[in-house]
Amino acid sequence: MKRWPQILWLTVVWVLLWGYVTPTIVVGGLVVALLVTVLFPLPVLNRLPFRPWPLLRLGAFLVADLFRSGWDVAVETLRYGPKSRAGIVAVPLLTDSERVITLIAGAAALTPGSFVLQIDRAGCVLYVYALGLRSAADAEQTRAHMRRLQERVVSAVGVDGVTPTDGRSPAEAT
Amino acid sequence: MIRDIVSSVFLLGGALFCLLGAIGLVRLPDLPARLQAATKPQTLGLLFVLIGTAVRLEFENAATLVLVILFQAVTAPVISQIVARSAYRTGAVDTDLLVIDELTARVAEQDGK
Repeated sequence: MKRWPQILWLTVVWVLLWGYVTPTIVVGGLVVALLVTVLFPLPVLNRLPFRPWPLLRLGAFLVADLFRSGWDVAVETLRYGPKSRAGIVAVPLLTDSERVITLIAGAAALTPGSFVLQIDRAGCVLYVYALGLRSAADAEQTRAHMRRLQERVVSAVGVDGVTPTDGRSPAEAT
Repeated sequence: MIRDIVSSVFLLGGALFCLLGAIGLVRLPDLPARLQAATKPQTLGLLFVLIGTAVRLEFENAATLVLVILFQAVTAPVISQIVARSAYRTGAVDTDLLVIDELTARVAEQDGK
């Protein structure tokens, strides 16, 4: 039974939705989780590695990012409003695992003022939209931040052996 | 008493960030910028409101709120990315507002080949 994590998670969600734990609810949750898993099967993939400590650090990093991005966007709104500027920055990808890229794109949406606009799988480049860019230095800062974020994600769930971490600049990568 | 103060600080802070998000929707110039306003301060505001609510609730009920913020944090990025991507492809992004645009250069280069 390779799907037990999914069943376990669905049961936990069920119990949380009820808000309290009784044997009936737990058993009911298990039944519903089993039904959902059997009726709507997802493809079974090799599990991503689970490294608790880097994962925890990634979580803390993302929460900090969420706070900063909420603040940054608010400041940009109030200070510049209609005159605010943005930019699209190319960021070289540090991994070629599709699931890890998905996670990176999701995490990037929490970073201050930016999200992933386009993913170039062949060239291994992410195109990141960032609000509040004003100069080339800001663009470099965004690139550096995205790089740190990617390193965190890869160290938390990256698959060994498919992480060619080289320092190519986006110009060379294209 | 302390609970009330903590909870009201979080609720008001959350409301403030939601308001800032709404102001951003009006004041920011183009679609991707507005998407930022709709996702970033809004998510933070929701997080604060939920924390403020959780402080007032018994533990069992507060646990459900964890789900709310979790699903918000998981779904908001996906939606913003899809909308932004379609916006870029249909030309709804005002390129005059971009300080640096490495994607358009790349697209032009590919079309040229």
